[in-house]
Amino acid sequence: MNWSHVKLIFHREVRDQLRDRRTMFTICILPILLYPLMGMVMMQVAQFHREQHVTIGVVGYENWPEDFPLITEVENDTIRWKKLLSDDSLVRAFEASESKRKSTDVFETRVGSHHQSNDPNAAEKLLRQFESDAIVWVPPSFRESISRDSMVILSNQRWERSQLAAKCLNERISEWHAHWLRSHLKVSEIGAALMDPPRVMQVDVSSAEMKRAIVWSKILPFVMLVWALTGAFYPAIDLCAGEKERGTLETLLCSPARRREVVWGKLLTIMCFSIGTALLNLASMHTTASLVMSQFSGLGTGDMVAAMGPLPLHSMGWLILLVIPISAIFSALALAVACLARSTKEGQYYLMPLLLVGLPLVMLPMIPGVVLSPGTSIVPITGAVLMSRALMDGEFMHALLHLPTVATVTVLCCMLSIRWAVRQFESENVMFRDSERSSMTQWIRNVWRQREDTPTPNESLLCGLLILVCLFFGRLSLGGMTLSWMSIVQSTIVIQLGMILAPALIMATILTRSIRKSLRLNRPGAKELVATVLLAISLHPAYTGFASLVGAEYKLGEQTTSMLMQFDSIIAAAPIWSVLLVLAMVPAVCEELAFRGFLFAGLQHNNGHIRAILLTSLLFGLSHGVLQQTITASVIGLLLGWLAFRTGGVVCTIVFHCVHNSISMLLVSFSSCGSVAPQWLTWAIESSNGQLAYTGTWCTLSVGVAISLIAWFASQKSIAESLQAFGQHATQKSIRSVPNLSRGH
Amino acid sequence: MDLVQVRNLSKSYPDSVQGEIIALENVSFVAKAGEVFGLLGPNGAGKTTALRILATILQPTSGSVRVFNFDVTKQADYVRHSIGFVSNNTAIYDRMSAWELVEFFGRLYALPDDHLYPRMEKIFRTLQMEDFKECPGAKMSTGMKQKTSIARALIHDPPVLIFDEASLGLDVMVARALQSIVMELRDQGKCIIYSTHIMREVERLCDRVAIIYKGKVIDSGTLEDLAERHHQNDFEELFYQLLMLGDKVGSV
Repeated sequence: MNWSHVKLIFHREVRDQLRDRRTMFTICILPILLYPLMGMVMMQVAQFHREQHVTIGVVGYENWPEDFPLITEVENDTIRWKKLLSDDSLVRAFEASESKRKSTDVFETRVGSHHQSNDPNAAEKLLRQFESDAIVWVPPSFRESISRDSMVILSNQRWERSQLAAKCLNERISEWHAHWLRSHLKVSEIGAALMDPPRVMQVDVSSAEMKRAIVWSKILPFVMLVWALTGAFYPAIDLCAGEKERGTLETLLCSPARRREVVWGKLLTIMCFSIGTALLNLASMHTTASLVMSQFSGLGTGDMVAAMGPLPLHSMGWLILLVIPISAIFSALALAVACLARSTKEGQYYLMPLLLVGLPLVMLPMIPGVVLSPGTSIVPITGAVLMSRALMDGEFMHALLHLPTVATVTVLCCMLSIRWAVRQFESENVMFRDSERSSMTQWIRNVWRQREDTPTPNESLLCGLLILVCLFFGRLSLGGMTLSWMSIVQSTIVIQLGMILAPALIMATILTRSIRKSLRLNRPGAKELVATVLLAISLHPAYTGFASLVGAEYKLGEQTTSMLMQFDSIIAAAPIWSVLLVLAMVPAVCEELAFRGFLFAGLQHNNGHIRAILLTSLLFGLSHGVLQQTITASVIGLLLGWLAFRTGGVVCTIVFHCVHNSISMLLVSFSSCGSVAPQWLTWAIESSNGQLAYTGTWCTLSVGVAISLIAWFASQKSIAESLQAFGQHATQKSIRSVPNLSRGH
Repeated sequence: MDLVQVRNLSKSYPDSVQGEIIALENVSFVAKAGEVFGLLGPNGAGKTTALRILATILQPTSGSVRVFNFDVTKQADYVRHSIGFVSNNTAIYDRMSAWELVEFFGRLYALPDDHLYPRMEKIFRTLQMEDFKECPGAKMSTGMKQKTSIARALIHDPPVLIFDEASLGLDVMVARALQSIVMELRDQGKCIIYSTHIMREVERLCDRVAIIYKGKVIDSGTLEDLAERHHQNDFEELFYQLLMLGDKVGSV
């Protein structure tokens, strides 16, 4: 790569963007102006709130104890009292009801009758009639029996002022009651100190600087990432879709700069603006918020607000360090997506989904309780945010522990995003797309005419997504069923046959010429089958260990745990042959035909075996619904994908899957029955805490056996030859398809 | 000397509706140094695709294309140094002046300062661009943009120049100026591939032509050869007749 070309393109693009008033306004001017303006508005609103008063009407204040008045003349009191006179209609109504024993009921009936008369604004009318935000009614006998008779506070919770008035009134009455009680205790010669709560001295070991860092560490990474994403958007659209629209990209592509160099030049520009936007917003928000909050703290508004002073410098350093890799990911993704667009308008449509995908990853660290752990560190962006938060909070050792994982995931994401962007630039179909012609019938006719023996990668992906959507709605609709063996059988059959196998089978029938090749139905040798069975048995201890690790890291909720326990006891009670048929055999056949069959067949096109293994395992994992199962199934899916690739078909993976499921079911079934391991198996299985588990000897031995079997599969000459034959067949097929294509015209 | 050699060039695109679009099918032609070779055809005939392949922007599906004896697929870097591409889309950066744009491309071609600036001054003087050299692209007229585009294509003094409908939308004055520039470049020994819809321009400029229709070359040769072969001296009429003939052959 010629870096002088990259530098030239970068300089040109940066200069071009700096000359664009719209970009400059969004990226530079807006952040500088936005937060001070917002701060100004906030200060004014807060001032308004501080100065506003609430009006509370009091009915029957003459019933209040005279020695301890509720209404006092205090300067700057937030409550304005309004004694309602006896000639008011409402008061008359109360007085009239005084003869009745439960006068509060009368009041409530009166208010209630307004509601019942289909007049939803009745309560509002009462409050409006007396121009009050809330009305308190003091019962006639209140002075004599303060604790026995209840007051009534009428408020309208739809109005914020009314909510505030009710809150103020409650606080004022509580204060009054404490004062009243204290006085009475004094009179009764009981120590008033009895009322005081025990004294507790709060000692906070964190420094003021650290407290400030903790408050900011929750807010700033989120703000920064949102702006890093937004800051990458507009330059990406302008530099790619905009250049296509203006026709300048073509000129650049026939210049000495190679496409990779053009991509790097543009990518660095987008990154530059993404980082710039994020940092400018950060600085502007931080400065404004610190100043505004210092104003509030001066007025004694609370500890949290007081803690939001200026962020320590080292914390700011960690944030700046975070923004670089995150901006690189966002910029590369934005550039790749913007490549798909033919115009700036189209680019905006394409970038919205990117925002929708990116935001949840940015939002995830905001959820209370989400901290940096082995589980969260592998989530792209989320891990990096949590890491920067840990560093800002001063938890250096904790952050250092997760640094390798977070760095690997982030670098991997960066590399993949950049590679995708370069590929987009190198693809003629993407760079020189003509305007779309929307003829559905012609498209369907073409799909039918052009179908091949196996599905295309897009058809396979569509099938995978269709399965996931079907499973989502299927599980929701089946979720209400009571847990019994019959319901488990029904739901398993419906899910496996109807939602996993059926989409693959229907698509194989409609979109391909050969169902056998689309589902990769092969005839493996006896040796391969035996090796597959042994591999499934020998890998099961390792799988169990891994599943326990995942379970320990990502704890199941109480509800899920109890459901799983119930599920295990139902399985234990069911006939073992039916358990193996329904929970081992059926899922093995259906899932393998769909994932390692139809999906794999399409995704392995153009030597895309690695793509096929990765994507099928991911989709297979996601089809399991629960996070813990998703992780374990994705990992086992990688092995199944590799096995499907090595054996050239789906039969071995069905056998593996079936044996694996059967062992799991047998262990669960026997453990739940409280059975002990048979004598001849004690070297491999033991009972511990009422559960059947693998012995240490077998765990060690099995890993060795599994590795040997994997090596055997990897070295099988016959399989390699069959794969080569499959490759030749695929080549012949592609040659054959040429006349088919030309027939289309 | 054949500076451009196109042999059995085919190009097809995948298409979601039709499955595949064949843009070029077994197209062959050669263009020599010191001649203007006209690539003619109606809209959608495949001219721009062929020129984009010559400019290494697109890859050929099959066939061989050599520019200045470099293969466009295997030696794309050398090909890019040997061509200057001027398209119908004037392709000027809105926020860059003519001077900055030509300077940017000169630097991409790694021209040293002592060579770049005298050459820029010479080109700006020859193309009469000195009046608007500081004018940003957004404020340029179509003629100014096209001149800037030509200056950009000439900065590295390439032996082959490709003009893809470069006179589209130009007024008579600028179009005439463009023609004089092309003739001057031909006289300097450059090989010029010139694609246009204007038959008067073809008659005035082109030494030899190839007529492309529906992705195939339906005839080629000097204008005199074509006139003699088809007994038609009016080139526009001859062009029309050839297209009609192409339609009939296609329908049979």
